[in-house]
Amino acid sequence: MIKDITIGQFFPGKSMVHRLDPRVKLILTMTFIITIFLCKNFFALGIMLFSLILIIISSKISIKLILRGIKPLLFIIVFTAFLNIFFMSTGEVLLEYKFIVVTTGGVFTAIFMAIRIISLIIASSLLTYTTSPTMITDGIERLLSPLKFMKNGVHTVAMMMTIALRFIPTLIEEFDKITNAQKARGANLETGSLVQRAKALIPIFVPLFITSFRRAYELAFAMECRCYQGGEGRTRMKQMKTGLIDIYGLAFMAVILGAVIFLNYSYTHVI
Amino acid sequence: MDSIIKFENVNFRYEDSKDLAVNNVSLEIKRGDFVAVLGHNGSGKSTLAKLTNSILLPQDGQILVNGMDTADESRIYDIRQTVGMVFQNPDNQIVATVVEEDVAFGPENLGVDPREIRERVDAALKAVEMYEYRQHEPHKLSGGQKQRVAIAGVIAMQPECIVLDEATAMLDPRGRKDILKTIRMLNEQLGITVVFITHFMDEAVCANRVIVMDNAEIIMDGTPQEVFSKTGDLRVAGLDVPQVTELSQWIEKEGFGISKNILSTDECVDMILSILEVQKG
Repeated sequence: MIKDITIGQFFPGKSMVHRLDPRVKLILTMTFIITIFLCKNFFALGIMLFSLILIIISSKISIKLILRGIKPLLFIIVFTAFLNIFFMSTGEVLLEYKFIVVTTGGVFTAIFMAIRIISLIIASSLLTYTTSPTMITDGIERLLSPLKFMKNGVHTVAMMMTIALRFIPTLIEEFDKITNAQKARGANLETGSLVQRAKALIPIFVPLFITSFRRAYELAFAMECRCYQGGEGRTRMKQMKTGLIDIYGLAFMAVILGAVIFLNYSYTHVI
Repeated sequence: MDSIIKFENVNFRYEDSKDLAVNNVSLEIKRGDFVAVLGHNGSGKSTLAKLTNSILLPQDGQILVNGMDTADESRIYDIRQTVGMVFQNPDNQIVATVVEEDVAFGPENLGVDPREIRERVDAALKAVEMYEYRQHEPHKLSGGQKQRVAIAGVIAMQPECIVLDEATAMLDPRGRKDILKTIRMLNEQLGITVVFITHFMDEAVCANRVIVMDNAEIIMDGTPQEVFSKTGDLRVAGLDVPQVTELSQWIEKEGFGISKNILSTDECVDMILSILEVQKG
């Protein structure tokens, strides 16, 4: 189950989206997400969805993969949509049964919310799918570099994020190994009340924590051996250069933003 | 200056321990040499490794790396760049999420020019035969491959000496063989000094010099030929001789004349064949 999580994974490639400067990509993703929230009607949201599809196509990431990224969050999406159906009471009444009232307004809002959440997930996972975690953290570090007075702090946080991302798969593997080892010793993880099952996790998390501490210790050793001395005087193999492609990206985003604002004002009463 | 690492009467004790982990060790490692350090668990061999690049500092005595004292804090990064270190667990020494970015970590820390880093990374990955995997995620590689990436990460810093601290202990036989092949190549073709710490006897055979540690002291020091002929002494230190050596010594005890110490399988096969020939004729 844990292995289904694709958010945070990176799929190397050479597409236009891959080649964008990580800093520009970060800004574009943030603007895109804000723009999704700015959408007030279906026309504006339609533009977002359409441009998202364009981005997916140009990123050459398979649709299957993107759908797999949504799957773990499907429950939240359906749940939110469901709540909206029953708690919005604008528009015509479609169905009435005792205290339950379903209106057109409710249904529209539900669909609107679902599309909005899905676009949010896709937009943010596209960032991690097409950018290596090191590049993302480097990008963040460089975007925040104007905060010079706390620059070393920025570097430290970026380094921590890189290492955390690096160790997610290792820890998942470790978790599986310990779970199997405890099951082989007769641990019962699948049955019993919620409290019992939570208690059964203790013998898994304790060894996991202990090995994590040991890993951290050894990693620190290894980093010291490779002359790590914080952010000062450090160079990077991959230089970040903004090129023509980044200008295209920014222009594309500007057009979307303009279109959404325009449509928001043109059709104020659609939803 | 033909010795790269020099220990002079070094004592080391861990803070929480009563016994010395390294007891009055004097040792000189020649430039370009391939040295294997043997010893059972807790014999002090890993401590010896960590002393070579000032991760640990000795309480008594002095350690010189290329003439630099490891206790001299101003030279600490020069020392670590000179003596690279590869550890036992490959997972715990890989920092980045992409192979080539991890290999670049060392040179980046040294402040090398980006274009040169690129060249060094490519060269290092080619040297360990992992160039095709440069875009892969480290956690999807096998143990032996991960360890080769770790070695590439060290080579990219262009060290003069590599210390491998039980780098093969967690690998399967095939991974071990690959690592041995890689470090032999580094030693012979790039002239990098290798200090290879292990408890597998068969791996120590390919070294030029074997050092045996027991109870925090060096108890034997010599060529593999010399060291492995003293089966009894090795037993006392809790170590075995390579299987083929043991076999040849049994054969010798049975009264067959053997000209020299047998260390490799090929030599053993030749020896047995020649004895059989004599018997036939």
